[in-house]
Amino acid sequence: MAEAGRSLKPFYLLLGAIAVVGAVLIAVFGGGPSMPRLTASSDCQAPAPGAPAPKGVSLGPDSAKVEITEFSDFACPWCARFAILTEPDVRQRLIPTGRVKWRYMNFPLDVHPNSPVAHLAAACALEQGKFWEMHDALYMGQNDWAEERNPMRLILGYATRIGLNTDSLRACMAAKRPWPEIQAERCEGIRLGVNGTPTFFVNGHKLPDTSIPAFDDLVHIVDSITAATAARPAAGRKR
Amino acid sequence: MAVAVLALGGVLDSTYLLLYKLGVIGSMVCGAGGECERVQASRYSTFLGLPVAAYGVGGYLVLLILALYGLQGTRVSRPTTTRWLAALSALGVLFSLYLLYLELFVIHAVCRWCSVSGVLILAICAVSIGGLASSSRAPAP
Repeated sequence: MAEAGRSLKPFYLLLGAIAVVGAVLIAVFGGGPSMPRLTASSDCQAPAPGAPAPKGVSLGPDSAKVEITEFSDFACPWCARFAILTEPDVRQRLIPTGRVKWRYMNFPLDVHPNSPVAHLAAACALEQGKFWEMHDALYMGQNDWAEERNPMRLILGYATRIGLNTDSLRACMAAKRPWPEIQAERCEGIRLGVNGTPTFFVNGHKLPDTSIPAFDDLVHIVDSITAATAARPAAGRKR
Repeated sequence: MAVAVLALGGVLDSTYLLLYKLGVIGSMVCGAGGECERVQASRYSTFLGLPVAAYGVGGYLVLLILALYGLQGTRVSRPTTTRWLAALSALGVLFSLYLLYLELFVIHAVCRWCSVSGVLILAICAVSIGGLASSSRAPAP
């Protein structure tokens, strides 16, 4: 046996070398998810033929007097700050009044390498009716996944936590099914002059770039628009 | 020796597929069609509650250990080990044929890393059966 062990030593070394090379290849080629390519700003000037309409994901009734559109990037820290500090109040205290329709528009920035994957994950979660749950999980966990080499492990963890079918989510993400919609929303933002995130539009009017509204600011805006629209018919009647 | 090298290749191949399935790896090197991802995302990528790739890792590990044990063994124990290798790898071939059927006719996508595994298990089976045949022809010591 000892003699056999000695004569097999080169073979064992060969096996060990194959195992090491294999492990290195897996580590090198087993990186992050393949990233979809973002549309260049210049390609957005004219909508591509067959491109979907930029609808976004909305909350609140179509009949609301005020429509607030947010162009946002899941990897942008200011967007996370807004999503974590202000948006819960918007959803719990403003949207239920029926006066506001809130629209989230995907605006992945090319400075954040993991943005496209996060936007794909949220858009694929929408296919299972859980966009807002994934939206919240991504913003809450932004510090963890935004700089990760492979954010998929964390994103799949969020998917499991919020009750998504992870196989369907991965199939959707691998096929990049909602990518045309994401590109269409990004292009819509570029056409409207969005050059940073988050950017807000209230009934089509862009809020100043420097302003990330607090909840009270939003309430004030909604109150003033509601009051103005209520006063207008009254003024008309006086005439 | 050939069986050990082939089984080690199988361990590495199945580990790659398993790491993708578990989300440790974000994407696979698998051409532009995304067929590996489609196969891995299908409901057939799990079997009795475990990822199919996990059976691959386990199965190839068993074959690798058996092959290494056979290399250490005496003339008496080697044919027994080879018989086990032939029997287990034949089971693996049948399972691979079932998976190939699913890919071709149910999922309509072929995962090339799964095909690599199919070729490896077929080669292990062929080498083991060849070893059995040659040992049965060899004169008794």
